[in-house]
Amino acid sequence: MNELISIVNLGLFQNTLRTATPVVLCALGCLMTDHVGMMNIGCDGMMLIGAFAAVMGSWVSGSWMVGILFGLMAGLLLGLLYGVFVIKFKSDEFIIGVALNIFAGGLTTFLLRELTGQSGTFHAEGGLSTLPRLQSDWLEQIPVIGQLLNNNTLLVYVAWALVAVCWVVIYRTPFGFWLRAAGEHPQSLRSAGKSPERMKYIASLLCGVLACLSGAHLSLGYLSTFSENMSNSRGFIAVACVIFGRSNPPKVFLAALLFGFIDALGMRLQSLGISSALTATFPYLGTVLMMVLLVWRNDRKKKRLARQTAKA
Amino acid sequence: MKRGHRPDYLLALGVSVGLALLLGAGIMALTGHPPLEGYQLMLQGAFGTPRAIGNTLAKAATLCLTGLATAIAAQAGIFNVGGEGQLYLGAMASAVVGAKLAGLSPWLGVPLALLAAMAAGGVYAWVPAMLKVKLRVNEVITTILLNSAAIYFCTYLTNGPLKTMERGISSGTDAIDPAFMFERLIRRSSLTESIFLTAAIAFLVWYVMRKTTAGFQMKLTGQNGRFAHYSGIRSDRLAVGSMVVSGAICGLVGMFEVFGLHGRFITTVSNEFYYDGMLVAMIVRYNPLGIILMSLFFGAMKIGGSAMELNAGIPSSLVVIIQSIIIFFMAAEQGIVSALRARHAQRKAAQTLRKEAQE
Repeated sequence: MNELISIVNLGLFQNTLRTATPVVLCALGCLMTDHVGMMNIGCDGMMLIGAFAAVMGSWVSGSWMVGILFGLMAGLLLGLLYGVFVIKFKSDEFIIGVALNIFAGGLTTFLLRELTGQSGTFHAEGGLSTLPRLQSDWLEQIPVIGQLLNNNTLLVYVAWALVAVCWVVIYRTPFGFWLRAAGEHPQSLRSAGKSPERMKYIASLLCGVLACLSGAHLSLGYLSTFSENMSNSRGFIAVACVIFGRSNPPKVFLAALLFGFIDALGMRLQSLGISSALTATFPYLGTVLMMVLLVWRNDRKKKRLARQTAKA
Repeated sequence: MKRGHRPDYLLALGVSVGLALLLGAGIMALTGHPPLEGYQLMLQGAFGTPRAIGNTLAKAATLCLTGLATAIAAQAGIFNVGGEGQLYLGAMASAVVGAKLAGLSPWLGVPLALLAAMAAGGVYAWVPAMLKVKLRVNEVITTILLNSAAIYFCTYLTNGPLKTMERGISSGTDAIDPAFMFERLIRRSSLTESIFLTAAIAFLVWYVMRKTTAGFQMKLTGQNGRFAHYSGIRSDRLAVGSMVVSGAICGLVGMFEVFGLHGRFITTVSNEFYYDGMLVAMIVRYNPLGIILMSLFFGAMKIGGSAMELNAGIPSSLVVIIQSIIIFFMAAEQGIVSALRARHAQRKAAQTLRKEAQE
């Protein structure tokens, strides 16, 4: 029991925040597409390409800022690609998502070999310019919370800020209203003089940008390198978080934190001698369990409501 | 699919494949490799020697089975994206049975391993199917997540409780009885007797999907669940059943790898075999006959791609890029055609208007 208590420490929560961030950013992108009624399951591939583009940008220029810029450009391109196929050509979004994921795996592996001559994991000679950690002496003085919030990489704070920004934009601005209308009542939006297609394109571009930004965080902020298939299904966990949080940014954020907590807990359990391969299953099984619990709870709620209305 | 639409569809398929190969050539040219030589090497690598042909056929068999597994579920309106995990668990189950039953007659040992593999894959597919039917949990997401869980779990078993004590094996389970192994049909190729089983299963799946009531009901369910429901089809049961069959087939694919090639479970037993098969199935829109033919084409590309990488230094992942481009085109086929038609009609209308104005 003492051993179990010993794994719950500050490091656990620090790791929770760190592992959750790529998922948060990606999920924010994915929820945009969900609001306009086209759930993008190609997020994972977008994340992978974003991670690759960011590392290449940073490697070529020696600056992480260029890396991020490359990642954002890749995001715009991918968002456009997804948008053209799903909106203009009316393709099945599921098939396009799957194709995008497979395409991303092939493209990044191919380009890694062709551009750097390396395979597997990328090793930059002389090191890679990665995201700086932000430190504040003022935060450092607050116990626990200060240590939790301090000393993270830039995109972690950006992700937190974006959760709030996305919530405000989606639920408190006309733009967000049009966005949701494009998914729920495209006809009404059209009669109000706005084009649902245009809102869908914007959502898909935003999704590409945010998913690739999460990739950039993964490769330049979290792991400091690129390796083949490094997204490791995080994009799908992000999709699960979107479903779990009903596309509401703060709720999705909480879901991602929960996932991060399970992941971090798994890592801490390794110190008790539990195999790392076994603990690696936790986030995936945990996410599935989360989805099941959510649906089950909603089911019961619905049934209770139905019973009440029947009585009335 | 209506019969009258078939030529249209085949034309689209041909154009998509052609365009994707052209784009592939473009990528080769951009990265400084002569494209014609690349494709020639690919062709040679796939069919140049008896061994190459054997490897191509073996690859095609794997793609065919995984493709049919995708199709049988998709036809009933439930997507199995979790074949990779089911494959791993099937391989693991069969390897354990094959090692534990060493010494038994192959006539008993092999069928038991077969059953174990099918059961492992089937059960692992049953879980997300039940979640979908009972609780409406999105099966695409759950199956994908369960993939990662299964692969990590098998890695854990291979490096932990089931790790072999044999020397020189860094990561694998105990070897299965050599008497259980499938014979190789062409020397040094990966074509084994399992191809006959594959053929039998492929025929069976085609028969069930196209010639039986269950297959027809599946199709109805997949196309219009509500209509099927009101026609008295128990669509939920059908969806769960086809998902379990799909998982069982994936488990078998894993077993074929173990009993045909590796002789034990190793963590690299599959290299995204299921996703490759899923691509095949998607390209031909889950048509069983199409899957059988298309898997030959894709198998040749895969095997040829490795030869191309070896001989010309062109990364074989180019093949993956080409394949995914084919999917993009096929998924967008109708949209592109109608967009082109609309533009054509617009131009024609503009022309007639102009003519009328001149007159």
